[in-house]
Amino acid sequence: MSIFLQPLQTVTVGSGGASSISFNSIPQGYTDLVVKISARSNASGTTRDGLFITFNGSSSGYSRTNLLGLDSNATISNRTSSASNMQIGDMPAASASSNTFGNMELYIPNYAGSNYKSLISDYAAENNSTSSWIVGMFADLWSNTSAITSLTISTGGGSFVQYSLVSLYGVLRQGI
Amino acid sequence: MYPIATVSTQTSSIASFTNIPQTFTHLQVRAFVHDSGASSPADIALRVGSSTTTIDSGNNYAYHRLGGDGSSAFSSAATSSSFISCAYCPGSGISSTIMSVAIVDILDYTNTNKYKTVCSMGGYDANGSGYANFHSGLWLNTAAIQSLLIFGGSGGTSAYNTFQLYGITTA
Repeated sequence: MSIFLQPLQTVTVGSGGASSISFNSIPQGYTDLVVKISARSNASGTTRDGLFITFNGSSSGYSRTNLLGLDSNATISNRTSSASNMQIGDMPAASASSNTFGNMELYIPNYAGSNYKSLISDYAAENNSTSSWIVGMFADLWSNTSAITSLTISTGGGSFVQYSLVSLYGVLRQGI
Repeated sequence: MYPIATVSTQTSSIASFTNIPQTFTHLQVRAFVHDSGASSPADIALRVGSSTTTIDSGNNYAYHRLGGDGSSAFSSAATSSSFISCAYCPGSGISSTIMSVAIVDILDYTNTNKYKTVCSMGGYDANGSGYANFHSGLWLNTAAIQSLLIFGGSGGTSAYNTFQLYGITTA
């Protein structure tokens, strides 16, 4: 067993695509969770589509702050509060370079604790372009003291295409 | 997460990983780099290959940068590049004891339906200069990655350069 990153669940999207990806019955015996995402959306008319997450089926209490580099060498930072879901990044969509999938890692510390849930993500919606691309980091908050027992990852408008891959890992602290 | 190989070199800022096992789902490279042969800042550059020993050195990469230099944030991009820029490292003019740290993630590296996307986080501080970087890159090839080359700028010397390759499985 790899105690640093213990694979828990994996979803690979099939030929029919998927509107969302869920992990249920998340084991409560780890310290932190890590989610690794290699994904692409079929959203038309755009090079990128948003990636969002919700916990335990809840549609309230989400907020985030981000830092982004994008498009023609721009940098921005903005914030969303009191949202019904949590944006964790973006992924390539239909108008991005073919065969191109985005990368993301989401870190959720102390997911089974009774505190509010703070998490971070870093990601790239890659594209073979100097004028349409995005990389960035999000700091997110779910203002809810419930332990996370399930999570659902969804898109901003399209569906996940075939070969999109989402992997859930558990991380143990020292002494367990 | 399982260690695959480590390269520790006192004579070069270049590390080559060949015959990469195809039994994992993701790869992670951890680099500790100073390149005395380049001016500061130098790129920590990455190339990959579809054979067990041959690296693609053609202009088949794109990369995108987000960074900060201590006074402002910046972003930049390149296409038709011969490498992926993973982060910046210190070069000549900065003490050889100052190193850059970079963690480079390559997801789904054996999937032959995908171009290979790279994300990396890194940077260095030299007590008055330095950079914090978050970069991404794309290898425009659907072949599985079987070899990997990571190097600082010109491949110059440093006493402490270390490169570690890890494999990550899925459930």
